[in-house]
Amino acid sequence: MQKSYVIKRILYTVLIFFVVLTLNFFIPRIGVEDPAERYYPPQGNMSDDAYEAVKELTRKQYGFDVSTAEQYIRYVSDLFHGDLDTSFKSGSPKVADLIFERIPWTLVLSLSTMLIGAILGISFGAFAAWRRGRWPDLILMNASTFTTALPSFFIALILVLYMGFEWEWFPAYTDPNMVAGFDWSWEAIGRVFYNAALPIFSMAIGSIVSYAQTTRNSVIAVSGEDFILTARAKGLSNSTVLYKHTLRNAVLPIVTSLGMSVSGLIGGAVVIEQIFNWNGMGTLFLEANNTNDYPLMMGIMLFLSTFALVANLVTDLCYSLLDPRVTVGDKR
Amino acid sequence: MNDEKKISSPDTTEQENTLTLRNLKVIFPNEAGVIRAVEGIDLDIKPGECVALVGESGCGKSMTSLAIMKLLSSPPAMIRVDELKLNGEDLTLLSEQKMQSIRGSQMSMIFQDAMTALNPVMTVGRQLDEIFMRHSNMKRKEAKEHSIKALAMVGVPSPELRYKDFPHQLSGGMRQRVLIAMAFACQPKLIIADEPTTALDVTIQAQVLELLSDMQRKHNTSLLLITHDLSIVANMADRIYVMYSGKIVETANAYELFKKPLHPYTEGLLGAIPRLSDDHHEFIQIPDSVPHPMFKPQGCYFHPRCRYATEECKCDMPPLREIAPGHCVRCFHPLSEKGEDK
Amino acid sequence: MENFWKKAGKGIKAFGIASWKKIKKAILGFGDFIKKLWMRPKGRVGLILLALLFICAVFAPVIAPFDPYDVTQRAAKGLSPSWEHPLGTTITTGQDIFSMLIYGSRVSLSIGLITGILTAFIGAFMGILAGYIGSWVDTVIMRVVDVMLVIPTLPLTIVLTNLFGKSYGMIIFIFTLFGWTGLSRVVRSQTLVLKNSNYVKAAELAGASRMHIMMRHILPGVSHLLIMSTALTSAGIMVAEAGLSFLGLGDPTAISWGKMLAEVQSGGAMLFGHWWWIIAPGIGIFLAVFAFMRIGVAMEEVFNPRMKQTSSVYKIFKNLNGAYIEEVFDSMDEKEKLGYIEEKERVRHE
Repeated sequence: MQKSYVIKRILYTVLIFFVVLTLNFFIPRIGVEDPAERYYPPQGNMSDDAYEAVKELTRKQYGFDVSTAEQYIRYVSDLFHGDLDTSFKSGSPKVADLIFERIPWTLVLSLSTMLIGAILGISFGAFAAWRRGRWPDLILMNASTFTTALPSFFIALILVLYMGFEWEWFPAYTDPNMVAGFDWSWEAIGRVFYNAALPIFSMAIGSIVSYAQTTRNSVIAVSGEDFILTARAKGLSNSTVLYKHTLRNAVLPIVTSLGMSVSGLIGGAVVIEQIFNWNGMGTLFLEANNTNDYPLMMGIMLFLSTFALVANLVTDLCYSLLDPRVTVGDKR
Repeated sequence: MNDEKKISSPDTTEQENTLTLRNLKVIFPNEAGVIRAVEGIDLDIKPGECVALVGESGCGKSMTSLAIMKLLSSPPAMIRVDELKLNGEDLTLLSEQKMQSIRGSQMSMIFQDAMTALNPVMTVGRQLDEIFMRHSNMKRKEAKEHSIKALAMVGVPSPELRYKDFPHQLSGGMRQRVLIAMAFACQPKLIIADEPTTALDVTIQAQVLELLSDMQRKHNTSLLLITHDLSIVANMADRIYVMYSGKIVETANAYELFKKPLHPYTEGLLGAIPRLSDDHHEFIQIPDSVPHPMFKPQGCYFHPRCRYATEECKCDMPPLREIAPGHCVRCFHPLSEKGEDK
Repeated sequence: MENFWKKAGKGIKAFGIASWKKIKKAILGFGDFIKKLWMRPKGRVGLILLALLFICAVFAPVIAPFDPYDVTQRAAKGLSPSWEHPLGTTITTGQDIFSMLIYGSRVSLSIGLITGILTAFIGAFMGILAGYIGSWVDTVIMRVVDVMLVIPTLPLTIVLTNLFGKSYGMIIFIFTLFGWTGLSRVVRSQTLVLKNSNYVKAAELAGASRMHIMMRHILPGVSHLLIMSTALTSAGIMVAEAGLSFLGLGDPTAISWGKMLAEVQSGGAMLFGHWWWIIAPGIGIFLAVFAFMRIGVAMEEVFNPRMKQTSSVYKIFKNLNGAYIEEVFDSMDEKEKLGYIEEKERVRHE
């Protein structure tokens, strides 16, 4: 891995971050002259004077009383001090605090999903590639159409109906005590996973299949390459060919798809969190949406985008460690 | 150089062959029918001999080479062979594990495109080490010394540095040299070179061919050179097999084949080589291309493209007949006969 | 003046004939394509399903026993499936679930298809532009793609529907806005391949304009990607739309499968164990997405025959007729034939 490549990649990430930041700043300001109107839309039962007063207050509170450019500068500088505005919620909590309070719960879901998906998916995909054309492969080839066609929230509803209500294996709704009474004891951790079972399960099915599909295709593509034939012509044993040559090359697209899916999993958890009333970012976002809490919504958006950016950066750097060709020519 | 071998080459020698191949057939069944890639090929290669297998692309040359290495996977291929012996050892009976210890040590292969034939995420040094570690039971350090020596032997400049390079950091000629180094690493009895120079520029081509024939002479290895280009074979090969659509159509020692080709196809291949010394500049062209291996014509496979074809050629497949000592041809009307007719 | 009208008339006529020929050719080509899809089991399943769904969507008022939009046509709440109500009625409002299912297909299919087609258009445009023109255009478009890929789609969609109101127009707009990025990357790399091909270079040397080359040489070269993407994107969008409606962010006045699932959850179907109410919209989504996916996969087989499942080779191998294969091998043997030929040779020589 060349230093210049790393630096270039990091600078590029910072550039994209600023673009996202700017978009984030302007989105709530689209279509209204006075952002205060957006933040506090007119209500029917309020007199004009009273509304003006409320708007004035909002302007002061959120700093809309200066020019847009100044607002932007203030927004950016606040951000670098870790300040993401104030939420509308009662008690005016800081957006950043709210996010960091919720993010561990979302990570529990998405990281376990990814872990389960990656471990089961990659091993199953490699198995299917090895037994190409036999039943594990045929199942996998057809499974992807089914898992795409059955959205995760539908699977979740079915799971709630049967495993939640009918058979009562797992809780259908998150136990509020799970969050309130969490104290890092083994019992509490166990309770988290007991409650997370159904959400994780409903998300994992799709990701297992998609990782398996990527792995299978990648392994099959690599095993048709000339250098595998060379390796076999050298007299290397099957296991050496598999581990040192085939898997070493097949891992590259899998790394990319892992990196791409991180952000998707966190963003996509919104629906699942809503079904199970899970105390994560997704529900926080929907709450914010229902109360038109723009500072909170845009804060979460920025957080998710940054998360995705960092995930992409890490993926690219990992990729360049694994593939020596990247440093010379750009892989895009 | 060819002269002495020419005299001793054909049937008279009692010396054991490096490679004996009898009646190799390779087919690929698919949903539409059966692809007949190789239809009964015999090959004999003597120690230290360079034998060329020549034919257009799609005639089954590469399938033959892979089948000799027992690298064709089945499925999709189905393979039958009556006899496959390397130095008198019957390879047909060997288990895959035994085969693995033979590949790379007793026979090895040089592939066409060195760019794709080398693992892109492994340094060339490591890829060379693997051979020594596998076949000579060396430790990594020892293997590295040998690898560097092997790289130096094939004329790679500053081999210690190139040892650490990845394939994409080398030029095409260098990559091909690395492949040659890999093939000669364990000094095998037989090396199969499958179109070793097709992917290279003409000037580099000459260098690589020279290296190949130098190495072959130095190690006294048998070389099976597979190519579509008769011109590169002229200076190297002792004997030539001409293959067409899965069958051998002509075989002779190089001198005789170039001097007096008997099969119209060979004539066509030779006619396609431009020669400065020729008085008549006319090229003989072979029209069309090799028949699809699934829909081969009735009779002689070459008849649709043959300008001498007769009714007989359209009905029956001619046998491989020995016209002169060591010179066999698969044709009802070999060219020399026509010459006499004139 | 008269001359002018004559000329104009001829021109219009010629134009009419030419365009009619083009349309005819396009229709014939399309028919040929459908035929090719139909020849494949996957394509056939997809086409039949899609045709059924289209019939449901277009003739919904005829097929559905009740009009779920009509408040007067509501039955008792929470009925179990019966002859009158094949899938029962909802617990919340007493609407006929079967009728809702039929009407729901309208939303899914139209949003899926419209977005799929729009995405293909924009993706093709951006991809070809970036790939063919190159330089700063390429840089700008690809950077925009990079930004788009980072922004989480679902949350942004929620924000935008919040800002600009919940309507299907808005949903289509947002999905299109985000959908083209992936396709444009693929189109761009294919364009780069085509750009270096000899026939494009030949056209450039012959002095063809950029526009001409893009429309006549590059667009046909990437068209298979576009058709495939339309099918697969439509499938993906239908799932996304269902998710959005499920969160209550679809058009509040329309009946869609996603919204039905949301009602399932809020109406307590799970508590009462009304599984038919849950399964019904799920099956709707499943069938629609499944149909598009199958067609997409079948298209892939049509366009890249080599990509075809390697498994077919193994299937052939398993079902091989051993005797036939032996026959093939034996037919290559020359030993028995030799006698015949030798005899013939003798005859010839005599």
